[in-house]
Amino acid sequence: MAKIIVVTSGKGGVGKTTSAAAIATGLALRGNKTAVIDFDVGLRNLDLIMGCERRVVYDLVNVIQGEAGLNQALIRDKRVDNLHILPASQTRDKDALTLEGVEKVLKTLSSDFDYILCDSPAGIERGAQLAMYFADEAIVVTNPEVSSVRDSDRILGLLASKTRRAEQGEDPIKEHLLITRYNAARVDGGDMLNLDDIREILAIDLIGLIPESEAVLRASNQGVPVTHDEKSDAGQAYVDTVSRLLGEEVPLRFHEFQKKGLLSRMFGGGRR
Amino acid sequence: MSLNLDRASMAFTFKGGMLPMTVMELASADPERIREQLSGKLSQSPAFFQNTPVVLAVEKLDEPHLALERICAACRAHKLLPVAVRGGPDPVKQSAWALGLGWFPPSDGVRARPLESVAPAEGEAEEAEKAISVASGGRIYRGTVRSGQQVTAPEGDLVVIGSVNAGAEVLAAGSVHVYGALRGRALAGIHGDTHSGIFCRELRGELLSVAGNYKRLEDIDPQLLGSAVQVALRDAQLEIMPL
Repeated sequence: MAKIIVVTSGKGGVGKTTSAAAIATGLALRGNKTAVIDFDVGLRNLDLIMGCERRVVYDLVNVIQGEAGLNQALIRDKRVDNLHILPASQTRDKDALTLEGVEKVLKTLSSDFDYILCDSPAGIERGAQLAMYFADEAIVVTNPEVSSVRDSDRILGLLASKTRRAEQGEDPIKEHLLITRYNAARVDGGDMLNLDDIREILAIDLIGLIPESEAVLRASNQGVPVTHDEKSDAGQAYVDTVSRLLGEEVPLRFHEFQKKGLLSRMFGGGRR
Repeated sequence: MSLNLDRASMAFTFKGGMLPMTVMELASADPERIREQLSGKLSQSPAFFQNTPVVLAVEKLDEPHLALERICAACRAHKLLPVAVRGGPDPVKQSAWALGLGWFPPSDGVRARPLESVAPAEGEAEEAEKAISVASGGRIYRGTVRSGQQVTAPEGDLVVIGSVNAGAEVLAAGSVHVYGALRGRALAGIHGDTHSGIFCRELRGELLSVAGNYKRLEDIDPQLLGSAVQVALRDAQLEIMPL
């Protein structure tokens, strides 16, 4: 049975798709058979981030409506063997998804995969609720700013009430906090919320902290999940996050502001 | 003429003030019915009728003319002192002034709350007793109350073991206790219990309300923010005191 993990946030543009792609890649690199599903019907992006946009034939909506088989729609990742992508439809809207259809897809994938990541659309409407409904765990992506924290708080409320586990009175969804676009220098200067404030307000376990990094934008545009960029701070932070997701204890990195020394300034040993 | 405005030379100063005032909301314009009901109440709680000033609220009545003089006489006979009239059409306003009473524009109804604890009406007394007997039906909520969530204790106190986040709302018929940070809205005494209060470990609330009297975050003394406080109603004003 696969573990179903939803990557969600409430607010848009915080890095859900980037994180879903990076974590799915990391899980697969560690030998887990992983599928990542784009639930953002109408605003398909995951295929771009994963670099498989030219190989999309069928999508999630085709599968749900019986127009294609699951195996026809699943795209095998070029770089990692046991990683598969199920893209969203760009021409339909979120009403094309049904609860029964989603359940059937997840059930079928479950018998074959170790991990299923659901990349949720922004918002709290139908698309987001369908993405989270069958989840066992949730990764709540939050930026260090007040509106993102409030929206994450709202999503955490929905995770505790509008999901199968909540409705059927099973063990609650395991919630993880993933802070992205963390700029230690700006936190130090008071422009951004600091780590402890976010943790205190949201009151859930921190699974990872991804520093704001040029590597992320570069990775997105190249269609290579940032996890593959082992030298970048963001890539390393996602590797740490995956390790924690797999139950390992890894110390937190990249959260403290280090003033650049004279030497590193002279020789340009800055963050990549 | 010199403009000498020394304090000693002034006979008086004008000051704005908020005084607690009993509003007598009339559902009938018949002075006899009013007199009857007043007699009944006088025997129930004589302490209430000691030349208590009242405002006669007539906005619920749909009558162009009122026997205002007879209504006032009925009140005075039961040791209530009508000081003003609220609402009503122009003739009512004119006759109020003619009787030496003040006139207030109609209320928007935001702050009106029944004073049942002081003067229970016949039949309502039983209900008030019922409310007290179930007032112990409080509720304990464990965990964080998150943005968009609403937790209510409709019959008693609400205890939250955790924080109430911004955008969340906690309501109780009795008092609200938050063993954590209060960042959202807290409303105590939602059925009008003026003796209820709000208690929290860390005050950051967007809105505090006791029995319909509220304070917004903006109205709260910034020095109290972040500290443990209790909020109580005193003279129809919210008072926030450190714990």
